Amino acid sequence: MTMAAHSPDLDEGEARAGFLARHELPVSLVAGGILLALILAAVVLAPALAPADPNAVDLKVIRRPPSAEHLFGTDAIGRDLFSRVLYGGQVSLLVAGAGMIGSLTFGAVMGMLRAFGPWFLRPVVDRMIDIQLAFPYVLLAIAITSAVKPSVPVLILLMVLAGWAGVARVVRAIALQERAKDYVKAAEILGASGLRISLFHVFPGVLPGLMVLAAMQTAAMIVFEATLSFLGMGIQPPTASWGGIMLEGKDYITSSWWLTTFPGLAILMTSLSLVLIGDGMEARSERLRAKETEA
Amino acid sequence: MKSYILRQVIQAAIVVAAITVAVFVVLRLSAGDPARIRAPVFARPDVIEQYRRDFGIDRPIIEQLGSFVSRAVQGDLGMSFRFQAPVSDLILVALPKTLALAGVALVLSMVLAVFLGAMAASRPRSAWAAISTALATLGQSAPVFWTGALLVMLFAVNLGWLPAGGYNGFSSLVLPAIAVALSIVPTQLRVLRSSMRGVLGEEYIRTAHAFGLAPARITFVYALKNALLPLLTVIGVDVGYLLGGVIVAEVIFAFPGIGELALVAMKARDYPLIQGITIVTASLFVLVNLVVDLTYAAIDPRIRMEQP
Repeated sequence: MTMAAHSPDLDEGEARAGFLARHELPVSLVAGGILLALILAAVVLAPALAPADPNAVDLKVIRRPPSAEHLFGTDAIGRDLFSRVLYGGQVSLLVAGAGMIGSLTFGAVMGMLRAFGPWFLRPVVDRMIDIQLAFPYVLLAIAITSAVKPSVPVLILLMVLAGWAGVARVVRAIALQERAKDYVKAAEILGASGLRISLFHVFPGVLPGLMVLAAMQTAAMIVFEATLSFLGMGIQPPTASWGGIMLEGKDYITSSWWLTTFPGLAILMTSLSLVLIGDGMEARSERLRAKETEA
Repeated sequence: MKSYILRQVIQAAIVVAAITVAVFVVLRLSAGDPARIRAPVFARPDVIEQYRRDFGIDRPIIEQLGSFVSRAVQGDLGMSFRFQAPVSDLILVALPKTLALAGVALVLSMVLAVFLGAMAASRPRSAWAAISTALATLGQSAPVFWTGALLVMLFAVNLGWLPAGGYNGFSSLVLPAIAVALSIVPTQLRVLRSSMRGVLGEEYIRTAHAFGLAPARITFVYALKNALLPLLTVIGVDVGYLLGGVIVAEVIFAFPGIGELALVAMKARDYPLIQGITIVTASLFVLVNLVVDLTYAAIDPRIRMEQP
């Protein structure tokens, strides 16, 4: 079907895009993918790209504005901000990735449990989702870190707590829709267990939605990590993370704009790329579905 | 309708009770001995023992929970370690400010979402549609504290139009409210845009066009009425997220609301205060959700007819 002409519902922009339109690739997906690839490359190659040790103090160059020597300027104790943002990205992205995987897994399990689990668990899962969503996540983080010292495992736990309910709500909705379909009823009549139906029959149907959620969730987790570190509840100094660097720059906001602007831009760009990817994947599956019903 | 209301109220009550018990037990188990936190570092054992009796933590946890709840329903949430004042008084001072901030931010975001969402849906190729897409993606990506920091730099430091922080009446609300509104507007905008698109495709809208009504009137009066329902739900669900944003904004703008108070309490390990704040705000938000649910059911009969 590669020779197929453009379907009539494609608008001019898509027709001009040629390659992208033929492969049903929305521009946002490609743009987000390229942006994310660039950011990942920069962060992974930090040891090669960074001009200085991210923790090397140089008291001769305190809070210098961006220059050729210090691309993003220097911070309050003369550390090179560009190097710190690059290395900070490693920490922020790893933690966000872990938080995404954790919240996605837990959320998906709870969502499927709500749709296919034993009857007495269903209202319990519903209430748990309600409680979690009613509970402001920052307040939850404050309550927990007032009891246990902030650390990376605690941070990841907080991310899972903050993110799972949103995932579970979406998975629940998709799984309940699927459950009403004939193929599930057929499997039930054939005597398949709830576990078997949910794992082998319904889960593949949930997967595309989960992929979109994964992108959106990673974006949310990057912002979440930054927020918690910014409030002093996340990654602890001197380890650089994007939120932590902003916290260090907070007190100089009126005099040294670069200290908060650049790490903020890094957060914005990364989560923007992921939101674009998520939007793009959603648009793509919608288009493919539209094509299918047309055919 | 009556049984629907009853069911919703009971569910909300269960949620509040569960949150209260969870917060109480988790803090008791993990925060360590409040007497040790409260007492001077090198206090004598008998002094610490006295503090334990004062807090009542020499008794079993069930008994403590019982007395906490029975006092809490009378408005007594204990004494703050840090401020040496009743927790309820501290919350009563801070909460109205937080609610004002949240309210202004919510109104601002709704106005933005309704206007841009409706324009984007009715004129998909206009500049409004482009602006709303940009706002939906950028707003979702930018952390509240960063937008807040940029706003401070631009409007408070460079232009000097508005205060950079603190609390001096309405002008102090503007910048934090904008920062929070920008963070919650994306979801609202997406929802309103898509529901608006659906409604605009309906036959009664075509009829209205055929009758020659002004397009703006059709969009903002006839279509909006039906497109607003999903927006209402999203706002109800996102209240927790809204408060999260407000707390962060309070910190960056040094705004003396509940979030700032919670952060101070956290740093001082002032756990009666944390406990009080968490329980009060969580209950408040369950209440808001309840009101949204009931409003929704009052507007749309299909919901209250639905069997659980």
